[in-house]
Amino acid sequence: MKAMIIKELRLIGKDRRSFIFLLLMPIIFIVMFGSIFNQESGSSITLRAIDQDQSAASQALITQMKGIMDVKQLPADHVDDQLDKIKQGQFSAMLVIPSGFEQSMKSGKAANIKLYQDPAAQTETAPIQAILGSISTQYREQKLTGMLMANGDTKEQAAAALASPIHIENVSASSDHLNMIDQVVPGMTVMFVFFIMITMARRFFEEKKTGLLSRIRTTRIKPLHYLIGMWFPFVLTVIFQCIILFAFGHFVYDLKLGDIAALSAVVLSLSIAGTGIGLGLSFLVPGEGAAMVITQIISMGGAMLGGLWVPSYLLPQTVQTIGHFLPQYWAQHSLLDIIAHGAHLADIWSAALILLAFGLAGLAIALIRLPGFLRSAAN
Amino acid sequence: MVQVMTGAMASPATTTDNNGYMLEVNGLKKAYPKKQALEHVTFSLKPGTSFGFLGPNGAGKSTTMKILTGIVKADSGTAKLFGKDLNREPDAVSKFIGYVPQEITLYDKLSAYDNLQFFGEAYGVGGKELKQRIHDVLARTGLLDRSKDIVSTFSGGMKRRINIAAALLHRPKLLILDEPTVGIDPQSRNHIFEMIRELNREGVTIIYSTHYMEEVEALCDEVAIMDQGSIKAMGPLGQLLEQYGRNSIYLEVPGLTELPHDPDVTSFHKKGSGWLLETEDSAAVMQRLLRLASQHQWDVKQLEVVRPSLESVFLKVTGTALRD
Repeated sequence: MKAMIIKELRLIGKDRRSFIFLLLMPIIFIVMFGSIFNQESGSSITLRAIDQDQSAASQALITQMKGIMDVKQLPADHVDDQLDKIKQGQFSAMLVIPSGFEQSMKSGKAANIKLYQDPAAQTETAPIQAILGSISTQYREQKLTGMLMANGDTKEQAAAALASPIHIENVSASSDHLNMIDQVVPGMTVMFVFFIMITMARRFFEEKKTGLLSRIRTTRIKPLHYLIGMWFPFVLTVIFQCIILFAFGHFVYDLKLGDIAALSAVVLSLSIAGTGIGLGLSFLVPGEGAAMVITQIISMGGAMLGGLWVPSYLLPQTVQTIGHFLPQYWAQHSLLDIIAHGAHLADIWSAALILLAFGLAGLAIALIRLPGFLRSAAN
Repeated sequence: MVQVMTGAMASPATTTDNNGYMLEVNGLKKAYPKKQALEHVTFSLKPGTSFGFLGPNGAGKSTTMKILTGIVKADSGTAKLFGKDLNREPDAVSKFIGYVPQEITLYDKLSAYDNLQFFGEAYGVGGKELKQRIHDVLARTGLLDRSKDIVSTFSGGMKRRINIAAALLHRPKLLILDEPTVGIDPQSRNHIFEMIRELNREGVTIIYSTHYMEEVEALCDEVAIMDQGSIKAMGPLGQLLEQYGRNSIYLEVPGLTELPHDPDVTSFHKKGSGWLLETEDSAAVMQRLLRLASQHQWDVKQLEVVRPSLESVFLKVTGTALRD
């Protein structure tokens, strides 16, 4: 068996196609998704503003807003051009401070400001409206404080009178909502682990087609030793693949790996699951072509339903339920628990056992089909 | 009991049966879904024999060899090596057998050395002993200087040599070669022939399958002619030639369109630019032909006795010429 393992590891090491599928592709996907989501998370709300009043009060308002959001100030005579751009969908909102803004404030009248917005982009404009509402409330509080103090109240009494009867306390709680890198690195790792099945099926069919399997049968290697000797190197390969991909996530995207013992347990179970299913598949399908098609269905379908592309909680309830029958779901779920929610061995052992069960089921299929596979190789 | 001589390639002591045979094959039958591959194949080999299986593709040679190596199970019949049944005690006998399949069964992406290391370990040889044996077989194949090269960079002939070398690492007593020279250049073929002769001289029993007559004539001292799943004739090469072969006379005379009748000529046909006459009494026919040549003033370009060939034996026992 040792001879089989060494030989197979040498062959895997020289297989460029496997390197592309198992390491290069997932790294490209991680980089691609990583850059998209990093840009999104770093973006802030941008508001275009036109100050037609050009007063100290209008400038004070814009300065206050700049502290909260990205404000891009435009020349006063550009209102119509900017409105056209909103209509064309180039941006979603614009604030205009009309002439007489400061004068209205000083005279105690309502000082109007105009927020032009695209009704189709409410998701983007809602935060702007909320911020403007908050600023308006601050102005009102300042005005009321001034009135109360004019009536003889101290500053503290005025503040107490204006205090809200409801106090909102911020309590942080763990949820399914994740940093996208926490989702992408394990997601792509789990997805591409299952591509090992193509390499495995290709190797078994090559051995059969070239007559190598028949020749090996004339040596002292037993069929079971042959099977295990072919399987074990792929388990090691997947473990190596996971180490590289998680290390990449850690060093390039500062991914927190959590409890290493728990992570190792899941990676080991995942490698047994992926390669075990690959083993079963290799002995079930009639040829390499069928193995490639089924591998893609298992890998891509499992990735979609198992929550590897988007978090499970965003998927419809039916899809979430189907996901429970897939190894990808259990791998991703337990990896996210470790990476994002600080889970330990005690928290993920059941998911690891489920993954092992998938792998052992594949091994059982391979053992049942092995005699027939050997017979077909002989002819 | 006859103790087998242990030569340079021999492994632990083994015994033949009471008749002195190391391999006894009796009544092998094998049917595939659409074909009866073997029909009562029976033969025995004494140690040190170089035994040739001659027959066209599909004759049953490869199936017989696959049964002997345990790759295929026979439907009925037995095969015993050193008295041990190949089917019942495969582990006890497999260590004595080296098998060189018809296909080049090597790992193309690995070096010659890595391939040999794998097959050596697969046969249970390891450590320093394996290293030494790899060195020996590489020297034997003439590829010692290419040991670290990747097999895919080798020529067909070099691959064939490594293919044979992989079957020698455990020092088998019986080497089974299934058409080991298919598609190679004459130089590599000669190298392989020399290797096989040397192994045979060292005491290794050879079973050599081919559809090339000249290979059997060059390598084997015993021959079995196979066709359509059964052995049609078998025995020492000389005996087969004597039993089935006939002397022939080759006559080449420009412009001779018709041969005069001769009572001792059993058959004749055109061959090349002349005629081939089959006869039981070549001396008498030759004398009469010389007399005719003198009388008719033939311009004789060639007149010679042709020794019986395996080709004529094959034709005689199967009724057809050996086809590729």
